[in-house]
Amino acid sequence: MSTMDELTSVFQQVFDDDELIVTRTTSAADVDGWDSLTHVSLMLVIEKRFGIRFKSAQVASLKNVGELADLIETLPRK
Amino acid sequence: MTSPVATLLAYARTNHPRSVVGIEEARRLDPERFDAYANLLLGWAMQVLGDRAIARTVDAFVEFTTDVNMAQGRYEASGSYEHKSYRECYEAVYADKGAMDDYLWGVYLTNFLWVHHLDLSAFFETRFVAKLPAKAALIEIAPGHGGWGLLALHRRSDARLDGFDISPSSIEIARALATAAGVSDRARYELRDALDLTSHPPGVADACICNFLVEHLEEPDKLFEVIHHVLAPGGKAFVSGALTAAQVDHIFELRRESELVMLAERHGMRVLETLSVSPQRTLPRARFLPRSMSLIVQKRTREDW
Repeated sequence: MSTMDELTSVFQQVFDDDELIVTRTTSAADVDGWDSLTHVSLMLVIEKRFGIRFKSAQVASLKNVGELADLIETLPRK
Repeated sequence: MTSPVATLLAYARTNHPRSVVGIEEARRLDPERFDAYANLLLGWAMQVLGDRAIARTVDAFVEFTTDVNMAQGRYEASGSYEHKSYRECYEAVYADKGAMDDYLWGVYLTNFLWVHHLDLSAFFETRFVAKLPAKAALIEIAPGHGGWGLLALHRRSDARLDGFDISPSSIEIARALATAAGVSDRARYELRDALDLTSHPPGVADACICNFLVEHLEEPDKLFEVIHHVLAPGGKAFVSGALTAAQVDHIFELRRESELVMLAERHGMRVLETLSVSPQRTLPRARFLPRSMSLIVQKRTREDW
């Protein structure tokens, strides 16, 4: 499964929406309920799914899913 | 001229859309108080940081709040705070001057951007600062950004303050904000481990301020020993702590409000007033309710008074 497919699966889980498909340009403006708290929930699920650990500064500044996917690729897997 | 609050909101909407919900909610719940504190504190910050003040402080706030929420999520999963010692926190946060500066500016904005801390600010001002004796000598233990003590000096032009903090970033920012607030002639900050203040002359403070230090300590009893030591008999202290509220440098886990009350009582203080507050929103399915609690305590003059 590609990183984007994995991310779509995580977004569907966190936002409880099986129809939700994310692309590299998807941002908070495109997803209802993607606020700061949901963002943290999302990051924690992604950490678990990918076996990685984010630094807060990295995830606070993410603009869209593409930046998130790129960040995931740079982090070492546990 | 655009107000600091309007500039902050516009910046947050453009650059931190995920965080705007919480910020606007804080303002909606008590717009008058929010704007008053925000314009005052941001006004000082703008004098210190100039044109970049809003961007710098709001970016720092968003990063700090993200850090807090990430820590809370990990705490939810593990059931305990991640770090257990000052040494671990030093390596994770305190040793990095740039990170400490951001951390302090981020925390500075929580005094009004976190609506429950807005309640604490009002509690501090109306129930503690307003009742200080004339020409009060204040000691602030671990002032951090200095905002709490500076608010007291701003409201009480007859008071003076000595602040002690172990962090060079704290001393630098608190001094700069004191100048911006126009109270630098009444505020003195010294780089010193506040827990060493038991060697300070005893009973010299009419009042003491110590906000959000206790949860950073391996041995919180020492803090209350210091507060008792520096306070004059009958002197009052405003002390705040975090309960079941994780942060990368929180190491002492307080679970119940009574634990803070008992710490104060164990060290010769009578608890006069308390306020325990929590955020409007928490992580989904949270088992811990993060709280901030403030106590107004008085040094007992006799064993049972």
